[in-house]
Amino acid sequence: MIGDENTLARLMGAAQEGDKAAYNVLLSEAGLWLERYFRRRVPPHQLDDLVQDVLLAIHAKRATYDPSRPFLPWLAAIARYRWVDHLRKVYKHESKEIEDDDAIEDSGEEVTLARVSLERLFGHLSEKQATAIELVKIEGLSIREASERTGQSESLVKVNIHRGLRKLATLVEEAE
Amino acid sequence: MSKSRENIIAGLAEDLEPVRRITTSDGLLLVAFATLVAFAVSVFVFDFWYGMFEGQASAFFWITNGLVLLLGAASTLALVIGGSPRVGQRPNAPGWTAAMVAVLPIAAIISLIPGGHSHEGLNDPVAWLCTKSSLSAALLVGIASVLWLRRSAPVSLERSGWLTGIAAGALGTVAYGITCPLDSISHLGLWHTAPIAISAVVGRFVVPPLIRW
Repeated sequence: MIGDENTLARLMGAAQEGDKAAYNVLLSEAGLWLERYFRRRVPPHQLDDLVQDVLLAIHAKRATYDPSRPFLPWLAAIARYRWVDHLRKVYKHESKEIEDDDAIEDSGEEVTLARVSLERLFGHLSEKQATAIELVKIEGLSIREASERTGQSESLVKVNIHRGLRKLATLVEEAE
Repeated sequence: MSKSRENIIAGLAEDLEPVRRITTSDGLLLVAFATLVAFAVSVFVFDFWYGMFEGQASAFFWITNGLVLLLGAASTLALVIGGSPRVGQRPNAPGWTAAMVAVLPIAAIISLIPGGHSHEGLNDPVAWLCTKSSLSAALLVGIASVLWLRRSAPVSLERSGWLTGIAAGALGTVAYGITCPLDSISHLGLWHTAPIAISAVVGRFVVPPLIRW
């Protein structure tokens, strides 16, 4: 059971005053809320790490909470920020892999981007970018196989994946 | 809940110390103080232009510095508010104020068309002095803004970068502007707005890595 807005705001206000018991309850409740928030945004094996990352961020930035304002939007903004940061790290990792062209089968982290409302986000990409990402990043084909399937050169497939993923990351970052 | 999360929560709660809340007025005061310092340094280096209070300043002088000051104030407010995590639509006062200030260089360029009223403009001998002096003053405001953002928790780094650059550029330009007796539209419209554009671009690229958390 996740506490209501007023309770959470009161607990956070008390935590800022140094109330350890209130803080313990607040972080536990925030953890549950974050679990729900991230469940559809990251693969299950990354969920707990991300929740813990946000809990640490809450601790580091607790002085920025204004008790006269609602708590959950404050928490949601931090959660979104850490999530985008997480995606950026995944994207950097992905780019490196594409450049190396040797880790196509290891697609665990690719699921992160693939899960972010792909149908909607793909609408913003060109057809070639969407096809390249879909074949290589979702279906798991190699660059060469995707090249043969689409008729694009291998370099073009890489470029389309690279640019498409970058655009997706930007779209996710810009989304409120 | 996983054991490791339980341990983290227990550890954080155990280490909890009371904190002083960071408020919007803290940020505004810090940037305002840096702006005052920039004013003081400008006056110390270049001398205050008393002519503005003796009826010597043209309307362009007051309009330009007034609009640029408003841009600085709107950007600073947005910047400081952005240091507190929140979701939802953001007011776009800085965008509209920037659009108003953008009228100035357009007017300056039009005034440079042959047959216009202005005889200065691109050949302005003090253009570089005004630009670099404004940027130097902007640096002080920019440093204060970055210090504030590092203390707070900005969740949109790119936007914070733009706002820092615009606020610093605008307030720095006004800080220097009170010492500059050149008050034609071509001078003010070009060389008292260029530092804002330069500062905005610099802020966009330099600030985000400094405030990432």
